[in-house]
Amino acid sequence: MITVPRIVEVRKRVLKENDLIAHQLRDKFRECNVRVVSLVSSPGSGKTTLLERTLTILHRTHHRVAALVGDLATENDAERLRRSGAPVRQITTGTVCHLDASMVSRALSEWDLHQVEVLFIENVGNLVCPSSYDLGEDLRAVLLSATEGEDKPLKYPSIFNSADVAVITKMDLAAVAEFDRRAAAANIQTVRPGMRVVELSAKNGDGMDEWISCVLGRSAAVPHTNAG
Amino acid sequence: MHELSIALSIIDLAEEEMRLYGGERVRSIRIEVGSLAGVASDALLFSFGLACEGTPAEGSRLIVHETAGRQLDVVAVEIEP
Repeated sequence: MITVPRIVEVRKRVLKENDLIAHQLRDKFRECNVRVVSLVSSPGSGKTTLLERTLTILHRTHHRVAALVGDLATENDAERLRRSGAPVRQITTGTVCHLDASMVSRALSEWDLHQVEVLFIENVGNLVCPSSYDLGEDLRAVLLSATEGEDKPLKYPSIFNSADVAVITKMDLAAVAEFDRRAAAANIQTVRPGMRVVELSAKNGDGMDEWISCVLGRSAAVPHTNAG
Repeated sequence: MHELSIALSIIDLAEEEMRLYGGERVRSIRIEVGSLAGVASDALLFSFGLACEGTPAEGSRLIVHETAGRQLDVVAVEIEP
């Protein structure tokens, strides 16, 4: 019991509750042998199209895949992704601009994770808020579409810093959009030196092989540093 | 705009410390916000004012130290009897 005002030294992470749940999720994923890949980007960068294509390829090649999709409202993305044949669950966040670990944990409560080999988590389209929340994933991919401009990494350094791999989507439109690949690569390296970059087009299939290897953890992935 | 939920978490942490030391009110909270934490200090300060209402931290001051890196930490809490 204090009788006079005092200053208490604390040093605690503000998001420790989220980090604790993310840690529990990571333990559970490891125990069930599930690889978890999350996708973050601004709205309209092609997360759902990339995921639809990825789920279809993996499902067809007999990988057991599943996905959680976050959006403020509607079941549209989940319905689109279910066409791949994989189990998909929509998380509608209402007004919340990001997914957090407890939403992921709740959404997974009825799934038998032993039946899943690769789980995808598509975050709400937002380049700011999702960067603060660890979801227990093994690999976080940040998407940047060729039509968005090369300077997105410089404008949103925190999300690029929280991710493990940068995926440049819509490369089939690169020429039309006058997308400068070298400038984009240089900007990514400025905010996150050594970051792996995968260029692809989910529409024509270019670069999908490299992406699938990355998803399955088959080539050297950059270590996850989200806890830093 | 996730600063409101961040503000609520900060107040929860401060209240935990206050109870631990048997205080009744929180006078100030000192936090460190990394430039890569994905949190805007202005929005956080605005949200904090709203989030404090009706809690032992109502009227308290949030002191934000901007640092490099990704940390988002509460570093000190000033509590009153």
